[in-house]
Amino acid sequence: MTRSAKRSGQVPEVAVKPGRHREATLYHALAGAGAGNGRTLEQLREAALKSFETTELPIWRRSGFWTTSLQSLDLDALETAPMPSEPGTVPEVVTRTLPDRPHAGRIVQSAGSVVHAALDPALAERGVILCSLQEAFQDHRELAERWYSKRLTVDRNKLEAANAAFWTGGAFLHVPAGVVVEDPFEIVYAIDGPGVAQYARTLVIGGKTSEFRVHEYDLAEDFPEGQSLHAGAFECYLEDGARCRLAQLQDWGRGEVYDCSTRFVGVGRDAYCHWLPSLLGGHLVRQHLELAVSEPGGDMAFRGLFFTEADEHLDAFAVDLHETGPSGGDVHWRGAATGESRASFEGLIQIDPGAQQTHTYLQIHTMMLSPKARLDAIPSVLVSADDVSASHGGTVGELDEAAIFYMQSRGLDRPAAVRLLVEGFFEPVLAQLNDEPLEDLIRTKLAAKLASAREDIETYATSR
Amino acid sequence: MADLEIRDLHVRIEEREILRGVDLDVSRGEVHALMGPNGSGKSTLANTLLGHPSYEITEGSITFKGEDITAAEPHERAHAGLFLAFQYPVSIPGVSVANFLRMAINAKRDEPIQVKEFRTQLQHAIELLDVDRSFTSRHLNDGFSGGEKKRAEILQMAMLAPDVAILDETDSGLDIDALRTVAEGVQRLHDEQGLGALIITHYQRILHYVKPEFVHILMDGRIVLQGGVELVERLEREGYDQIRQEVGASA
Repeated sequence: MTRSAKRSGQVPEVAVKPGRHREATLYHALAGAGAGNGRTLEQLREAALKSFETTELPIWRRSGFWTTSLQSLDLDALETAPMPSEPGTVPEVVTRTLPDRPHAGRIVQSAGSVVHAALDPALAERGVILCSLQEAFQDHRELAERWYSKRLTVDRNKLEAANAAFWTGGAFLHVPAGVVVEDPFEIVYAIDGPGVAQYARTLVIGGKTSEFRVHEYDLAEDFPEGQSLHAGAFECYLEDGARCRLAQLQDWGRGEVYDCSTRFVGVGRDAYCHWLPSLLGGHLVRQHLELAVSEPGGDMAFRGLFFTEADEHLDAFAVDLHETGPSGGDVHWRGAATGESRASFEGLIQIDPGAQQTHTYLQIHTMMLSPKARLDAIPSVLVSADDVSASHGGTVGELDEAAIFYMQSRGLDRPAAVRLLVEGFFEPVLAQLNDEPLEDLIRTKLAAKLASAREDIETYATSR
Repeated sequence: MADLEIRDLHVRIEEREILRGVDLDVSRGEVHALMGPNGSGKSTLANTLLGHPSYEITEGSITFKGEDITAAEPHERAHAGLFLAFQYPVSIPGVSVANFLRMAINAKRDEPIQVKEFRTQLQHAIELLDVDRSFTSRHLNDGFSGGEKKRAEILQMAMLAPDVAILDETDSGLDIDALRTVAEGVQRLHDEQGLGALIITHYQRILHYVKPEFVHILMDGRIVLQGGVELVERLEREGYDQIRQEVGASA
């Protein structure tokens, strides 16, 4: 497979063998003909609309048992520009979930509208902008247009096209050159019931040598019937020497929420990004997560965790892309599955031609907690440069009975031992958030999920 | 009546009978040594006493402080005051030594232990085991050397203050300095807290530091000889084969 074939958008020919449907073999970097670079917002909306009208809901077929299909989604039944059930108010799921802690600013979108936006006035004075993306296109058009959809495509699938064509509200954050912010900016997308198609659009720009944190929350109220969709597009660009810590907490609750999203982070010259998504549930979640070092000296740490339960389906594709060297990368994901859930994680290291002196490592660790759950973890490495180091490792595990007995012998009962073991399993990633309120929130959520899966875990453990 | 009473204990693992009628009494304040060649059933006894699910008791009983615990859950035995120092301590990634200890202590209390009280106890244990303070913030046994693992076992024992502890080949894989520290720790817990100990060992060397009052020799799933510390010396002199011939002949 040659690089030019991939850039021109042809599907490269590969031999028919297990794994031919791997994302890695079909992967195209998000740049290229479909990306927005150079086109206006209006042109992009028009191109996206065309693509939306001529494509079907996507299906991803993978090796083995794996298929991710969005075709059970009844798109016609959803509102394209949905109003929150209570306009202008922050949904309860947000107020009850977000930790009470200092933050630099917060923007909340419910359904299709931004219902809350607040920024520390001292930061506004220093030129920081936090507002809806719609507003950014009115008030800061030149800045927004320069970066908008720079590396995101608008036509790879129907839902990506729908996002680019129909998005409303959205979030825009610009931290100007040299500004250092300690507390996180919080970006929240909430779905407060069925019938919602939320086309979420986030654009984050870190100016030269800026330093800041972004915490994104994707939350939904539990609802017993009906469907909702979150089709998200997130892009973050870090200019020379910027340092950013991005975290995401996604938990769509127990309603039938579909999430089909693309996230891209571009790391500029000597810039650094620490990115940690935690995908904690949703009826069907499909994520394309891409962290690219685009200029020399860029460095990144790409961490993540996932937990699926009940009949949830998760399909995550995470790319560690090195477009130039020297550059550094370190990818470390951990996930567990309970109930009858299915989780597939594919991680790809791609080192482009000329990205010499790149050093990166990918590890994926997974833990099966139920006889009916299925879990797939696939690492891939595609290297087109010769002076690099890139490798991968990982484990697929089950509950370690020896460890459980050990803890029991010290006085913990079995459920406590199991909980500690699973929590401990996530800890090497979780602790790297380096943010206690968010870490504690995720720990609490994991503990609740474990408690509700307790019977299932026990059956599995004693059946072996 | 002894604190720990083992009566006619028969234990199977995967259809193989390993223990074939063991009788043993251990009380608080007593130090016992259980010796035997490889495969005699020493570790089986240790694991069975704490209720390991893979070991099936087919006959006999275990009584602890007057309660029949033959079928009790492992954590119930721990709460009752039994402790097992593992031959191969398991690593628990993501859980620090200090946090684990706090959870283990709280598991058998109604009210959580006060921070200050916990710290004082921990400090005492740290000094006893001659470990660095940072030791307790490391993940339990994760990346520990053999000696650190054994120290961590005795540290936990000191914190949990059991009535009777079973030490399963705690001396294996230790250099002489670590062995001395660990053994002295056990001796002090015995002297200061009245710990009762069942020291399981293949060799004699730990018994140079912790003096047993009672010595039992296990062979082929039965205790074939019992005596005092002189038995250790005899074993050192004659070896297991000699004893096997003797008891085999008398059986």
